[in-house]
Amino acid sequence: MEAAQELALLIETNQEKYYKVAFSYVKNREDALDIVHNGIVKALESFHTLRNPAYAKTWFYRILINESISFLRKTGKVIPLEDLQAPQRPPAGDSTGVHKDEYIDLYAAIDRLPPDLKTIVILRFFEDMKYEEIAEITSVNLNTVKSRLRRALERLKLDVEVLEDD
Amino acid sequence: MIDKRSYDSIEIPDNLNGVVRGAIAEGMARRRRKRIVNLVRSAGSIAAVFSLCVITALNLSPSFASAACEIPVVGDLCRVFLFREYHVEDEMKYVDARIPQIEGTGKTGLEDRVNQEIQKVMRDCLAAGEERAKDYYDAFVETGGDPEDFNPVSIMIDYETRYVSPAYLSFVVTQYESRFSAYSGSLYYNLDLDSGRIITLKDWFGPDYRRIVSESIEATIAGWSEEQRSLLWEDLSVMDLISENTNFYLNQDGQIVVVFEKYEAACGAAGELEFTIQPPES
Repeated sequence: MEAAQELALLIETNQEKYYKVAFSYVKNREDALDIVHNGIVKALESFHTLRNPAYAKTWFYRILINESISFLRKTGKVIPLEDLQAPQRPPAGDSTGVHKDEYIDLYAAIDRLPPDLKTIVILRFFEDMKYEEIAEITSVNLNTVKSRLRRALERLKLDVEVLEDD
Repeated sequence: MIDKRSYDSIEIPDNLNGVVRGAIAEGMARRRRKRIVNLVRSAGSIAAVFSLCVITALNLSPSFASAACEIPVVGDLCRVFLFREYHVEDEMKYVDARIPQIEGTGKTGLEDRVNQEIQKVMRDCLAAGEERAKDYYDAFVETGGDPEDFNPVSIMIDYETRYVSPAYLSFVVTQYESRFSAYSGSLYYNLDLDSGRIITLKDWFGPDYRRIVSESIEATIAGWSEEQRSLLWEDLSVMDLISENTNFYLNQDGQIVVVFEKYEAACGAAGELEFTIQPPES
């Protein structure tokens, strides 16, 4: 299979993940779809710039996140209030004993973070990535990833204990 | 511990797959065009510069232009397919179409008929797609959207050869539109090159084709897991879906594969369903 087709397959397989990442930034269905769309077109169009196809996964996340952040920048970073007040709720009838507000707050809370910190929280906790992968995606070194994550959690007043090593 | 349930339960829109597939088609098409241009550039001769101009002109022109030919060489058929490329880009839409044309089959009557039909269907598809893009654009601007920010709707038409032999030619033409996944669709063409006819399931399996095809499909379904079967419509009658207009193609082994469109036989999550038909034991 041609390398670009492999990328297309990777994208098609993981489309829901990408959509969720984009959605976490823009909190709006149409905008998230546009970001996913533009990210894919850009990635395939500039695929020849990727030297090592082994990095396709992290490379595509980088494009997607850049698209999301530049979208927010272009639209003035304003997320309409009504969108924030209607977070995605977990399916009804979910009775695991956890108080609902706890997790809704956490997901909504990342909107209080600046984009660079938000990216790291999303990738680490929602996409379960390793520090190395996050470092690659965000083009910063490993220690910066860890310190940004610590900063993000402090801002969210979360226990820094959730910081585990890989 | 971090609870990620609210993230995991972000609702996935139904048209995500359509948008993704459209974007992939668009990205691939742009890549292909870039590659041709790069190839020409690297040649660096006057002739190359000249063809670069031609390519640019083709891309800018909103009319159809014959492009390079694709050559599945089989037996003495040297050129079955020639495709035409159509590209137009403006503030509302990004259209990229590769429309097949058959040539060199030795059956001019068939060629004309099929080519005209493909052209007509494609023209209609494009016109309808452009119309939808315009409506969407107008609505966007009317509701206070800045025309600068409008993300053009992309309309992609492409085709894929499924089977070629001196006797038969089978190919599928696909259409995707970003934003409107309901408008994506496939058209299947199966040609008998000896008789110069478009073949139907009836031509292939004889007058008893509805029974033969539906029995084979039912046998396949019977081998499915409970979970797979639960996606099918409860009141599904396979035989009712089989007619002379049923979509099918010939796979690379020359077997008939019947295709049910999304929602035709099962709920949307099942997508398109394909069944390879086993010929009756005789």
